[in-house]
Amino acid sequence: MSEIIKNFFKYRELIAALAWKNIVIRYKQAYLGILWAVLKPLMLLMMFVLVKSFVGIQTDGFPYPLLTFAALMPWVFFQESVSEGVNSVTSNAALIKKIYFPREVFPLTAMVTKLVELIVSFFILAIMMIYYKVIPTVHLLWLPLLVLYSMIVALTISFFGAAMNVYYRDIGQAVPIALSLMMYASPVIYPLSLVQKKLLIEQSSGVWSEKLYTLYTINPLVGIIDGFQHALIKGIEPDLATLYPGLIITLITLPFSYWFFKRAENWFADVI
Amino acid sequence: MAIIEVNNLTKEYQLGHLTSLKETCLNGLRRLTFQPVQERERFKALDNVNFHIEEGEVVGIIGHNGAGKSTLLKHLANISKPTKGHIIVRGSVAPLIEVGAGVNPELTGRENIFLNAAILGIPKKIIKQKLDEIIEFSELEEFIDTPVKRYSSGMQVKLGFSIATSMEADILIVDEVLAVGDLAFQRKCFDKMEDLIKRQGKTVLLVSHNIRQIQRLCHRVILMNQGKLEINGMPQSVCDIFYEQSDEKIATNMSGNKKIGISTSGEVNLENIFFTNAAGGRINYLQFNEDCAINFEINVKHEITDITAGFGFHTTDFLYLTTHNSEQQLSIPVLPTGKHILTCNINKLPILPGVYSIRFGITAGKSASTALYGENLKHLQILGKIPITIRDGFFALEASWSHAKIDTFSHEK
Repeated sequence: MSEIIKNFFKYRELIAALAWKNIVIRYKQAYLGILWAVLKPLMLLMMFVLVKSFVGIQTDGFPYPLLTFAALMPWVFFQESVSEGVNSVTSNAALIKKIYFPREVFPLTAMVTKLVELIVSFFILAIMMIYYKVIPTVHLLWLPLLVLYSMIVALTISFFGAAMNVYYRDIGQAVPIALSLMMYASPVIYPLSLVQKKLLIEQSSGVWSEKLYTLYTINPLVGIIDGFQHALIKGIEPDLATLYPGLIITLITLPFSYWFFKRAENWFADVI
Repeated sequence: MAIIEVNNLTKEYQLGHLTSLKETCLNGLRRLTFQPVQERERFKALDNVNFHIEEGEVVGIIGHNGAGKSTLLKHLANISKPTKGHIIVRGSVAPLIEVGAGVNPELTGRENIFLNAAILGIPKKIIKQKLDEIIEFSELEEFIDTPVKRYSSGMQVKLGFSIATSMEADILIVDEVLAVGDLAFQRKCFDKMEDLIKRQGKTVLLVSHNIRQIQRLCHRVILMNQGKLEINGMPQSVCDIFYEQSDEKIATNMSGNKKIGISTSGEVNLENIFFTNAAGGRINYLQFNEDCAINFEINVKHEITDITAGFGFHTTDFLYLTTHNSEQQLSIPVLPTGKHILTCNINKLPILPGVYSIRFGITAGKSASTALYGENLKHLQILGKIPITIRDGFFALEASWSHAKIDTFSHEK
């Protein structure tokens, strides 16, 4: 863990240069430029608003577009970081064969690239908040921590996935499918309160309800998305009970994932 | 202490491990159910390689394709990890393994300089100071803000080379990069390399198929063969051995079809080439600075007229050294069918000891059309001792030195 931070710092210029390259070449010949980055959550938002108009969804008095956008931001960030991260090593095969630097630079770069796009979507959110006259509170300060947490989650999956993808390209194929399924296991389209109401209050699965809920919250995105909505829109502190199962799993998995990556790294240039 | 130590380095690759994406997908299901079989056929790309390189040395690595040269460099640059053995590198390494690996076609030249500098680990501060120097060296001032995809291929390598050589490292690892750009730029790259080597005293490892370049730049040459370090020694002797090996390889490649290398009109065939000494006895090797004769045994199938024969020495990499033809010396108005011998007598063979080859041709008729021509027809070794007055080259130059003092005083008057 400390080695990740150390290398992140040591190779910050390289990561910055590569991330900048990713962004520049992606949008260089596009009129809309970096706006494409926010177009994805915005389009999804419009879809969801459309669906919501004929499927009743409880929003506790907060504007649904705002809540959904606050959920889509971390989700899109996570999803894109992971899919970029998993493919980051294989797509830089030319560099890997020619020059050495710690290979974790690639997943880290993928994440930093997406972080820039996340920041852009914060501006969109700010405009929406002004429109809906929602005033952020002091709990906004939770946000950096939540972003850091989602970065760690994305990295945990990226390290393992990227290393595996070098050996078996199946991983690169499977990840988008897994991610699109994961969206339905996260409170993106529906609010978390709906799940809580079903499982915790109505106990709809009987004695298994509480356990099922814990299982649900093992998905780190549940806590993150709920936390984003709390800190940004609702102006209250994130629900720690929702956060910690995922956090524990992530912090246990990360060292293994990183260790696996570093072990596999030795053979990247031979196998890729 | 040696700046690079390579001890018992062995690298094995699994054959057939790199499957295509299609195969990977087809095998996907099988893979999910059991581990990939480890017992694949193994291939030793490097086999127990040992050598040391001292600081400031310039070492050339030569060998045929697939001898393990690039694999070796990859290990020194820490790109690949050894299967067995270990490598100690005491100092920073600038891997110029194929220039322009990080050049992105969408970015402009200037942007690429910054990107590549970051990839090579050059701090931004330093690259900003060196920017003008790099642009000037690359000769791309006009186009530096144009995307690289609009560059010609020569311009791309120029850019790549300029960035790569701006890196300050103790050890330079160079793989076939000097053959970039046009002749003028190649010259410039060569000068830059010499500057790095001679003036800045860098340790350099050079892989090239241009053996002359290696001979000129290196203090020591390592010859690799099938993953093994075959010879590690003085450039001249190692390169000569390599030339001989290459010749053998060419000879075996050609043995299947004897006609390769000889074009003939069908009127005449070359049967044999042999050497004789001044006494007329057959010899296998020629002696430097001694009289000898080269004999060409030909078989004339159809009568030919007005023939002129010519032969020449060339190096095994086809550098034509000298030729001699029979014009004005030998007049054969009609050459009847049957076997003949054409002999060229050489006085005091001036070619320095080494391995060479022979080309030979016959023209016939009033229009002097080619009846027979072939290159690399017979390899020969010239033996003898190089006189102390000549250090390198191909020819013995007959010359002498003298000395006189210029009297500046008398000049003014």
